Amino acid sequence: MSKVIEFLEKYFVPVAGKIGAQRHLVAIRDGFVAIMPLIIAGSLAVLINNIPIDAYQNFMARIFGEGWTTFGGYIWNGSFAVMSLLIVFSVSYNLAKYYKSDPMAAGVVAFACLMTIMESAEEAWAIPYTWTGALGLFVSLIVALVATEIFVRLLGNKRLIIKMPEGVPPAVAKSFAALLPALITIVIFGLFKVITVALGMINIHQLIYDVIQAPLTEMANTLSSAVVIVFLTHLLWFFGLHGANIVEPLVQTMYLPALEANMAALSAGVSLPYIVTKPFLDAFVYMGGAGTSIALIVAIYIASKRKQYRSLANLSVAPGVFNINEPIIFGLPIVLNPAFIIPFIIAPIILTIFSFLVTAAGIVPRTVAMIPWTTPPIIGGFLATGGSVMGALLQIVNLLIAILIYLPFVALAGRIEEKRQAEIEIDT
Amino acid sequence: MAKKVMLVCSAGMSTSLLVKKMQTAAIERGLEIDVFSASQAEAKEYFDEISILLLGPQVRYLEGELKKVLDSMGIPMLIIDSRDYGTINGEKVLDEVLAELKKGEPPGFHEEKEDKP
Repeated sequence: MSKVIEFLEKYFVPVAGKIGAQRHLVAIRDGFVAIMPLIIAGSLAVLINNIPIDAYQNFMARIFGEGWTTFGGYIWNGSFAVMSLLIVFSVSYNLAKYYKSDPMAAGVVAFACLMTIMESAEEAWAIPYTWTGALGLFVSLIVALVATEIFVRLLGNKRLIIKMPEGVPPAVAKSFAALLPALITIVIFGLFKVITVALGMINIHQLIYDVIQAPLTEMANTLSSAVVIVFLTHLLWFFGLHGANIVEPLVQTMYLPALEANMAALSAGVSLPYIVTKPFLDAFVYMGGAGTSIALIVAIYIASKRKQYRSLANLSVAPGVFNINEPIIFGLPIVLNPAFIIPFIIAPIILTIFSFLVTAAGIVPRTVAMIPWTTPPIIGGFLATGGSVMGALLQIVNLLIAILIYLPFVALAGRIEEKRQAEIEIDT
Repeated sequence: MAKKVMLVCSAGMSTSLLVKKMQTAAIERGLEIDVFSASQAEAKEYFDEISILLLGPQVRYLEGELKKVLDSMGIPMLIIDSRDYGTINGEKVLDEVLAELKKGEPPGFHEEKEDKP
């Protein structure tokens, strides 16, 4: 086991670290962070509209009239429905900031470039909601990165600064700095659009969606993909790296469209298409944080009399309720601790498989709402499933499973520790 | 002027636990130090104000990216020891911060003063 750990630490960890700090991925991740409050607001709007309790629905209709759900609809229009317009700006902004360029100018230009290549709605000359939501996510990410790269390079080019005659205030001269770079960037996108249309590719969004995004979303929504993501996240955490943070750009890009499809289906009253979403993982697997570590805390209370473990459990339980678990990961520690690698990785994988199966069987409803990842367990499952008691129940069952998995290892770790202490005493 | 110490992790949540402990320790010792936490996305906003940046061990892979900028500004950076981080040992991390900040001060500055009777 120690050989495997050594090998991984030498070859896997540096690569993961590089990926975690890669500037484009960091920009995408920070871009998603910036729009997350709106995504959560949109989720709440859908929740308010769709809580599956007749008495509630009747009550709302009686007070606000039959059309009461339009309120949630409007908020949806301002959040989920324009997610791709928001993300093109926020990603571009963050990337330009990394380059210490002009983030605001870059974000505005990237937005313009996206609109340049977006085909207007068929019926009328209008921005198509079809592509401003999650379905256009890939195009937005690509445009944000490409446009920003071009713009930032041009902005750094001294020959493109329009020289002002002497006597023009420096502030005025500076305002012209972005003129040519912005112009050239949008012209490049304009030409690209003209060429693709000439080649018969009228709708770039449709094309990218069909060729890249839809297959990826489908692929990501299999049980095996979910298990791979959960496995990777925990393997990284085992080495003390923030696994969830490193896979975040991938997870958001693949699972936000799935969540949006579920929400749209819920509003339309048809069956929900996808099982795996980010709230699915947050609610049913990452309870107490990575490794379902709230279960480990409970297991320590049950099975360990060691003072060190107990005091650490006391320290970890309050943040753990809000899914923050660095104290237990670094303090116990779980990091590089052979006694805990097995349950820390196996428990979340088993929960992923179990949750997937009971959801696929229709026992627990599919997830429809993005919940803040700090939402405590039991409440989280209830909200993520659109207000279903079964969602909360699955979390309780999952917690029990995870506790059972951790129990023998807590006892084992205690015994290993005792043995070592005994050896130290003999030596001295 | 109070020295500003910024702790950075992915969302600024887990570091905020340590912030509280460090701030309490600093006040007890009567030090004029302002400790706060930030997410990695926000961190860059504060570079102009801070005296030192502490990185959570779980995001230590950001070191290279941050170092480039911080070095040019002459701001030191420490990666928090993972055991101290886990046990939320505010006293010990504060000790390390003070030691690191002392390095940055002009050499012999305090000593000279004390030498004169």
